[in-house]
Parts: sequence; structure tokens; C-alpha cells
Amino acid sequence: MPQKKLSYDTTLTLGYHFTRLVMTCVFLYASIDKIIHPDLFAQAVYNYQVLPGYLVNLTALILPWLELLLGTCLLFNRWMAGASALAAMLMALFVGMITFNLARGLDISCGCFSAAPDEGPITALTLARDVLFLIFSLTLAMLVYVRKTRNVMEILEENRGG
Amino acid sequence: MLLKTYSLAPALVWHHIGNTARQAIFIILLSMALGIAVNLIRPDSIPFVETWSMADKLAAEGGDTLAITLEDATALFADNAAIFLDARSQAEYDRGHIQDAVNLPWHEVDNYFETVIMTLNPEAMYITYCDGEACLLSHDLAMLLKDLGFTRVKVLVNGWTLWKEHDLPVTTPSS
Repeated sequence: MPQKKLSYDTTLTLGYHFTRLVMTCVFLYASIDKIIHPDLFAQAVYNYQVLPGYLVNLTALILPWLELLLGTCLLFNRWMAGASALAAMLMALFVGMITFNLARGLDISCGCFSAAPDEGPITALTLARDVLFLIFSLTLAMLVYVRKTRNVMEILEENRGG
Repeated sequence: MLLKTYSLAPALVWHHIGNTARQAIFIILLSMALGIAVNLIRPDSIPFVETWSMADKLAAEGGDTLAITLEDATALFADNAAIFLDARSQAEYDRGHIQDAVNLPWHEVDNYFETVIMTLNPEAMYITYCDGEACLLSHDLAMLLKDLGFTRVKVLVNGWTLWKEHDLPVTTPSS
């Protein structure tokens, strides 16, 4: 019985750290170029044609820092509840935006990992990649919850049972 | 004992949601502060609020504007005085384009260099277009042609949509 519990815990832990580190790389890598080139990224945001003009620059200024902070939280394993939930929401938003613009056939560059307009247009492959990241971040958010509640349950059980 | 522990589950869920919300809000506020603060101190900052319109952008680069109005474009079209260049992909071009327009997809412009660009007369009048207010393909193509020494190049912003809306002559697979 303890053996079984151990292997379950190991799987959870491995899954947790694997998804955590994958999303760390994704967010850190995605944030750098956009922070360096806010003007190019603003153009990329504008090209998506989903925001009113006055919000374009603010989004282009803040979003990369949000990505950097999320990547940092995930890297150092801090504020994981908030960071993992935000990561999942952000990925859901990206998937939504890309789907929307693929559906209406807009020929725009992704602005995902590079702010440069010659990154190449968004394709079904871009969408597939982001869906994969969305699945990773949802898994991570779920694992954060499972681990947190299990910890609390175990402490409670020990206190009450013992 | 176990039952008692599980009756705590809703409280645990709420606790987790509260934690999540607090941390998420904190992360968002911190990134807002960082984004704004860094933009205030960096030398190559961008304005926090900017009007984003294609006409402004075209006018900003070089004194006279690259943009051409639909009226001027249709006048040139009627006189056969300009060549229309479609900067969209070949697939989009095949689904429909301005009558007699030449396809010059911006994303594969290298492949069209010898077959199309070399055959064009640099002295002639060209009007590039793509689709959508924010579409940059026609703008980028126009800038390339100008760099190559073409003297009379204009951009018809949101060309394909405007052209269709005004029922001007088009070529579609069915026609």
C-alpha cells in the first residue's frame, strides 16, 4: 500500500515539475524579444485587430512583463496557484485570438516568440502549438491544486487520526 | 475521521480560489507597474496611448502619403493608367482579385522576383493592395518597390474589401 502511494506521488511530482519547467521556458523565451522591441510588438498587437487603438500600446507594454513574471514565478516555484492559473488563462486567450484570426483569414504574424513582423504568418501549426501549451498549463494548474489540497488533507488526517 | 476531513473539501476549494485570485492580482499589478515604469525610463520608449490608423502610418513615412483614395484609384483603373498589385497569397488571389491585378505575394516575394518584378516597368504607376484596415502586406510591398527604384507606387488601404463593397470590376473563379 505505501509503495502504491509512493508511485502515485512520484508521477504527480514529475508531471508537476515537467509542466512547470516547460511553461517556464515558454513564458521566459516569449517575453524577452517583446520587452526589447515594444514598438514592433505594439504593431503585432495592433495587427490582431481585436483591441481598440488606445489599448494597443498599453497591452504591448504590459503583456511581455506579465509573461516574464509568470515565467519567473514558475521557475522559482513561487505563487504557483496564481501563476499557473494566469498562465492557463493567458494561453486560452492566445488560442482564442489565433483561432479568431485564422477563421477570418487575416494574414498576420504571430508575435508569439518574436516581435518582428517577419516571424511568418499564423498557421494551423501555430494554433496546434498553442493548444499544446494550453493543455500543459491547465495540467499544471490542476496539479498545483491537487498537491496543495493533498498536503492540507494529510496534515488534517495526521492531526485528527493521530 | 476520513469523512470529517472530506467535509472540509468545499472550504479547501474556496481557500485555493482565494489564494489563486490574490496571487494572480498581485502578479498582474506588478507587471503593470514594471511595464509602465520601464517604459518611462527607457530611451526608446513608446507612447502609452497612440492612435493606430493606417493612413497616419503611411503619411508618416516620407513627406507625401503613400496612400491613395478609392476615387483616385478607380479613376486610374478606368483610364487603364495604373497596374494593380495584389500583395496577398496566391490562394487568396485565386479566390478573387481586382480585375487585371498582378499577384505579388509579399510573403513569397523572393520567388516572384524574376517572373514578376523584373518584368515591371519602373516608370509605370502601381497601386498595391491587400485586405483589411491593418494589413501591412501592400505597404511593405510598396516600400520594397520604392527601394528598387519604382517612382510611382501607391497603397490602396483595405483595397480588396473596399473594391468589392463598391462593386468595382473583379475577377473571381466563377467569372
